Amino acid sequence: MRVPLSWLRDYVDVDVSPEALAERLTLLGMEVQGIEHRGADWQRIVVGELLTVEPHPGSDHLLVTTVRTSPQEPVLTVLTGASNVAAGQHVPVAVPGAVLPGGRRIEVTRMAGRESQGMLCSGDELGLTTDADGILILPADAPVGVAMTDLFGDVVLDIDVKPNRGDALSLIGLAREVAAATGARVRWPEIVLGESEPPTESHVSVEVEDAVLCPRFVARYVGGVRVGPSSLRVQARLTAAGVRPVSNVVDASNYVMLELGKPTHTFDADRITDGRIVVRLARPGERLETLDHVLRDLTPETLLIADSAGPLSIAGVMGGASSEVGAATTAVVIESAVFDPVTIRRAAHHHALRSEASLRFEKGQESRLARIGANRVAQLIQAWAGGQIAAGCADTNPVEPEPSRLPFRPWRVSSLLGADVPVAEMRALLQRVEVQTEPAGRGDVVPVAAGFPGVVLGAADAARALVAIVPPHRRDLEIEADVTEEVARVMGYDRVPGRLPETPMPEYRPDPRRTVDAARDALAGRGLDEVVTHALVGPVDHERLGMPADDPATIRVTNPLSIDHSQVRRSLLPGLVRVLVENERQRRSDVSLFEVGHVHRLVDGVPAERPMLGVLLGGDQSGAAWNQAARPADLWEVRGLVMALCARVGAAPPSAARPDSFGPFEHPGRTAVLHVEVDGGACELGRAFELHPSYLEAVEARSGHVAVALLDLDVLQSAIPAVRRYVPFPRVPAVERDLAIVVGDGTLAGDVDRVIRESTAPLLRGLRLFDVYAGAPLAPGERSLAFRLTLQAAERTLTDEEIDATVARVVDALAARLGARIRS
Amino acid sequence: MDLDTLSARLSTLEQAGLDAIRAASSPEALEAVQVAYLGRRGELKTVLGGIGALPAPDRPQVGAIGNAVREALEAALEIRRRELQTAALDARLARETVDVTLPGRPFRSGSLHPLIETNREIARIFGQFGFVVYEGPEVESDARNFQALNIPPDHPARDLWDTLYVDVPGYLLRTHTSPGQIHVMQQTAPPIRALLPGRCFRYEAVDASHGFEFFQVEGLMVDEGTTMADLRGLLDAFAQAMFGRGRPTRFRPGYYPFTEPSVAFDVQCVVCNGVGCPSCKRTGWMTILGAGMVHPVVLRNGGLDPERYQGFAFGLGTDRIAILRYGIDDIRMFLENDLRFLEQFS
Repeated sequence: MRVPLSWLRDYVDVDVSPEALAERLTLLGMEVQGIEHRGADWQRIVVGELLTVEPHPGSDHLLVTTVRTSPQEPVLTVLTGASNVAAGQHVPVAVPGAVLPGGRRIEVTRMAGRESQGMLCSGDELGLTTDADGILILPADAPVGVAMTDLFGDVVLDIDVKPNRGDALSLIGLAREVAAATGARVRWPEIVLGESEPPTESHVSVEVEDAVLCPRFVARYVGGVRVGPSSLRVQARLTAAGVRPVSNVVDASNYVMLELGKPTHTFDADRITDGRIVVRLARPGERLETLDHVLRDLTPETLLIADSAGPLSIAGVMGGASSEVGAATTAVVIESAVFDPVTIRRAAHHHALRSEASLRFEKGQESRLARIGANRVAQLIQAWAGGQIAAGCADTNPVEPEPSRLPFRPWRVSSLLGADVPVAEMRALLQRVEVQTEPAGRGDVVPVAAGFPGVVLGAADAARALVAIVPPHRRDLEIEADVTEEVARVMGYDRVPGRLPETPMPEYRPDPRRTVDAARDALAGRGLDEVVTHALVGPVDHERLGMPADDPATIRVTNPLSIDHSQVRRSLLPGLVRVLVENERQRRSDVSLFEVGHVHRLVDGVPAERPMLGVLLGGDQSGAAWNQAARPADLWEVRGLVMALCARVGAAPPSAARPDSFGPFEHPGRTAVLHVEVDGGACELGRAFELHPSYLEAVEARSGHVAVALLDLDVLQSAIPAVRRYVPFPRVPAVERDLAIVVGDGTLAGDVDRVIRESTAPLLRGLRLFDVYAGAPLAPGERSLAFRLTLQAAERTLTDEEIDATVARVVDALAARLGARIRS
Repeated sequence: MDLDTLSARLSTLEQAGLDAIRAASSPEALEAVQVAYLGRRGELKTVLGGIGALPAPDRPQVGAIGNAVREALEAALEIRRRELQTAALDARLARETVDVTLPGRPFRSGSLHPLIETNREIARIFGQFGFVVYEGPEVESDARNFQALNIPPDHPARDLWDTLYVDVPGYLLRTHTSPGQIHVMQQTAPPIRALLPGRCFRYEAVDASHGFEFFQVEGLMVDEGTTMADLRGLLDAFAQAMFGRGRPTRFRPGYYPFTEPSVAFDVQCVVCNGVGCPSCKRTGWMTILGAGMVHPVVLRNGGLDPERYQGFAFGLGTDRIAILRYGIDDIRMFLENDLRFLEQFS
């Protein structure tokens, strides 16, 4: 809320600097987010008296004026295009050398052949009011020659009032806070009405259909008003507070909203059929043209102020055009009501009409203010627009709630704070925010958690407990902890001492990030850059992965900021590819990335997410240099990386197999599905693949070969044995045998690997594929896979016979199971 | 054959041998010289073979001369061998000399993302005080994201979180890590000291200081007798660890529906050290997190009795901490993943 200090001072004395006040309010929980010095940017703008005003002989829209700005200075000749000036008026004059808000400089100029020694200013040019049509006419007592800054400058505090403190969305509410901080007294405006007969009920009646939606409605009638502009002082205050001045009647309503936090509405009384107001929900098909001249369809949840002819306004949100107070209005009905906050909030959201009024209604309104607000608006309308205030008011619920009783235990206050606050001090602190205290009684119930049963005080506790007498405006004080905060903030949070906890430590819990961090460290150590990409991607990203826009497993954002971020990602791939492409545009050809993040989908209608690791290698993998050739990314690079990663986190290396099916983004000849052993069974860890050339083209990647691995981190975690055991290695020498195995089309290296392992156990200590050859003299389609077998027994040296027998067994098994032969 | 003749032949042999040794220019040539003069059928053996023709009294004298010749030749051989070795080594070293200013072989140095590393650093600091890490879902239920946290539907406080909703009834993209408080309380009995790092989402236009995806770390401590003083002590310790010893902090009232009392925690501006600058809006202070004592309704919703347990929670913005820690002026850098940015964190 914007708070002009000159206005705030009507209600409380402020005898510290604006900066000091701002700090004290901030430390009280009313955070001052900005201090604006209004008028600080008016340079050489002074009050001048118009001596003469005559038409410009060479122009039909300019006036030539002479202005006195001081007895000593020569009279200035100033030209103006405005028509609202007359001799004798006091006006703001920007003399040559002046600077206006925004940095506009005023110098001597010539207009239509005449010299102008400065400029007469409008309220809008100074930012003082919003009137840009005419010159700002100052009060006749504005002293000539005095700088405008000295007369009309002000300091405006921008205060962030939290949603629970609707009462402080007002000058009077913030004056209370200032009083709590400084000990000053709050001055309420004196509200005395000069009322006239006939009484209000002869002009207007109010019927509320549902008192839950409108607990109270107070109406007043002011007849014989003359609608016109408000005084400069009122316009300047409203403008400084961020509210646009409209007319004296409307300004009176807005002024009271800012002053008391009470939104009210004024109707042209002659436009209310028979003076009969009904508060009701909208009926099907009803429409209303609101003040902003938008014709709105009203939903049946919308609360209306209506008459027998139809809707007059949307309650608490915006008035209707038909009953708007205008220049022709002579009588006014003031609405000062309390509405159901949720109903107002929903209506404001539905119609996208969040107004200063609806914001206050949403936070709940104090019943008492309905009466006070109506009276205050009537008083100001009469003061500013004349007229007669009809005696009494129409009031649907004149019973006003008493202050509420909130029993609390001072020792619990201290124990929550960890600071011993003496009870006497606690009572004094609460008194500073108008909360009185009295001793509690046996059977008083301490509200601990709203909506749950409270704690009934026994005799012993009751003797030490207190009851806070909460004034009606503090609707936020409901439970004991609220009292604790109130004590703490008035005392000052800096009185809460800082100390490290001495309470028991929690049970040990394994860090869920340990494996992830080990993997991250390993990948970064191998030269990859970690990225964080958006979890929200676009439909096209998923379509390229083969998931249509209406895929039932995709979770969609219903109110996305843009189509590009309208679906929750089902894969890390689109984000990684986007980083690749963006960096390729920066002429990078050595992109190696990884990301750890969640992927999402719906399983049986319930959101399910899994932590994944994505690795993407594009372009040169070696770091080509003068002594080293570039090495393009390929499947084997990323598979080797996955092997190293598994070793680093303590998991066995995954096995690779050719998958049964492929995504449209996967190179069908270069995709492997990776499995790890979990609890004795094979579990899919993920896939390693090169991107399909068509996919690369679609995403506009420059790299021809991009290798990717997408791994499920939960599976990786479960593949790590709980304990790592040392395995003794044999002290006897090992024997190596090389076999070049010729296999035909369709036989995979992994098949050969498996057969060798199965037929050599338990003597095989190591197996390494060291060469792959195809070509003459092998037949077309044949490949030679050269393996080095390391054979070793645990406790003895193998004999030549054992070794030969083992190799023979391998050769036989390969021949029998794979049709392979040994290349000689 | 007489003594003088034999002596002269030995002398000649010695001279010839020494010349041959000096002339040998490789280890192989030197080896050949050695064989030729000192070998089993070498010159020395041949000459000394004539010793039998001498009278017996002369033989010791010739033997002595022969030994002297052998020793002289062997000494010369050893010297020459060393010379040749040294020369060969020198030649090799000369041959292998390179331009040492050529750049080293490029090992790629990877990097860890500053947001994730900041989360890790935060966890490391609070880990010293017994806080353990939990994780909560990104697609969260409205019930936990709002209602269990004392924010009913249509509550005005919902304005504090501009929410992105999903097409699954009852779910949304979590607007903060605070629903993790409920997850932890429902699965763990006090004493609780929990950290919940995670990605959050808001309906927010992107600019230098806002994004619709960002990271937070939630902290929760609950036990019998956990106080606001404990909260302050821990936050002070955190601020010192993250921003340096002796950095002043400020504890002031804040507002969250799920804490009461609520706290805003400021550190002295790390840019201007409290003098006042645009970064701190001239206040000298920067708010780094929100906190407070867990609201009794939230304790209840977590299954704990607020008469027995009390505790605190805090939520800090990883992005904000990272920005202050590294002096980054635009939050958008974090999700753009420009390698020129990332490589600075290797």
